[in-house]
Amino acid sequence: MNVLAHGVGSRSDLPIPEFYAYAGAFAALVVSFLALGLLWADSRFRGAEAGVPIRVSPPARPLRVVSLLLLVYTLGWLVAGPARTEANAGPYLVYVVFWVGLVPASLLFGPVWRLLNPFRLLPDRARRPLPARLGHWPAAAGLLAFTWVELVSPEPAAPATLLAFLALHGAVQLTGTLVYGHAWLERGDPFEVYSTLVGHLSPVGRRSDGALVLRSPFNGLDAIVPAPGLVATVCVLLGSTGYDGFSSAPFWVDALQSGPLGRTVLGTAGLLAAIVAVAVLYAACIGAAGLIGGARGMSPRFAHSLVPIAVGYLVAHYFSLLVIEGQRAFLLVFGLDGEVDLEIVGPGVIATVQVLAVIGGHVVGVVAAHDRSVRLLPPARAVAGQIPLFVLMVCYTLGGLTLLFAA
Amino acid sequence: MTRAGVVLACLLLAGCGAQAETHHNPGTGHEVSTSVPAPVAGEARAEITIAAGKVEPPPGWLELTKGQPVSLIVTSDVADELHVHGFDIPATLVPGQPVTVRFKADRTGVFEVETHDSKLVLLQLRVR
Repeated sequence: MNVLAHGVGSRSDLPIPEFYAYAGAFAALVVSFLALGLLWADSRFRGAEAGVPIRVSPPARPLRVVSLLLLVYTLGWLVAGPARTEANAGPYLVYVVFWVGLVPASLLFGPVWRLLNPFRLLPDRARRPLPARLGHWPAAAGLLAFTWVELVSPEPAAPATLLAFLALHGAVQLTGTLVYGHAWLERGDPFEVYSTLVGHLSPVGRRSDGALVLRSPFNGLDAIVPAPGLVATVCVLLGSTGYDGFSSAPFWVDALQSGPLGRTVLGTAGLLAAIVAVAVLYAACIGAAGLIGGARGMSPRFAHSLVPIAVGYLVAHYFSLLVIEGQRAFLLVFGLDGEVDLEIVGPGVIATVQVLAVIGGHVVGVVAAHDRSVRLLPPARAVAGQIPLFVLMVCYTLGGLTLLFAA
Repeated sequence: MTRAGVVLACLLLAGCGAQAETHHNPGTGHEVSTSVPAPVAGEARAEITIAAGKVEPPPGWLELTKGQPVSLIVTSDVADELHVHGFDIPATLVPGQPVTVRFKADRTGVFEVETHDSKLVLLQLRVR
């Protein structure tokens, strides 16, 4: 087992240097206060209305068949591959190529898992309409289950663990699709929802008239539709990465392996506590913003501004895993007898990417929240109403930097 | 274990310490021995005891600079397999006998030292 690693891997990142941590924190604070005073007073983003059409129609069906074959190939490794994790490509294909790779792929090309999702090969025949109140809740639960397997389960990289997860995931998606059609996949498939949320930051998106367009990531973010469970989904992403950040701290390692509760129980409690902490902070700050701004029902309408913060932290967290353990996936898949270069990126590069990703996410989040505030709140209260939102983002960003610096 | 016992163990192993073995990670020369070697100047050292599933001292960080020699001296009360991640060094732990793993920390990052059967993290190496 690896407490250090995200499911797989033989190393983890060094703490970022003190200077990087303070420079990042300072930048986050300055940007937030400048945004309050200097950004526009009337909403500028047009969300799903914006964008320049591009004439590309990717062949969805063949791509999904290819992705189904890759799934079967991965299952083959998991079922028949060697028992030693380091020799089995299966866990690397799941954790590194698929789970971590989904972030850069979606950032570049938009909601790629919608295009590649093999469950979309099933016929889109809904027996009944998807209840609106279900929203993204199934996706939030699915992401929680996957991050639990990755970060808490006793043997995250064991083929049996991954096969059990994939079997459960497959059964849920199959049932959901047979009952509710593809609407289920759009809202309930954890990986499709994940990829689509991250993909809202990409320059490629779909306009409200259905055209594939090039658009600014700010319009992309603005096009996120507030649905029940959206806040929960974002909180699961932020909270689980946060838990991953502190779970290698010596006090926590010691508590996990020597405490009276046992590691699975304590690990589960820690993961849930991290997610609840993120959610409580969100609820408190949005509540304060609503009180100051004199508006109600704000909670789902600001969830989009947390997406870039979560993505920034995901990039900071997984960058080195992708470039380092990605090599092992490549070597194992192609049966090459090479060595993984653990220092293909140095600590300086990793720290720089981490801080830039966290601060970049923060800046985009602040701008998105500002635009949404001036749209939703009465002009006289729009600036004051934003203060709790910025406090929230500063808390998340400083929390993220602290984890990168201290743990 | 008494000094005489250590000497005896060394003699039995024919050639005190220096049980170098090649492995699947060329470039990381290391040695595993059932003795406590004399400290080398500039070497980082950690002595860890595992008793009844508890690690003493509790798992912490060992701060290293790249290229620094390291000695990990591990005594376990049960038979187990020690593994230094990243450097990919395995060592067999014999009950009650201190086992020394010596290597050069020649790559940067955070690496975990753990036991395979009891699944305990003994230490995290922070190599800068």
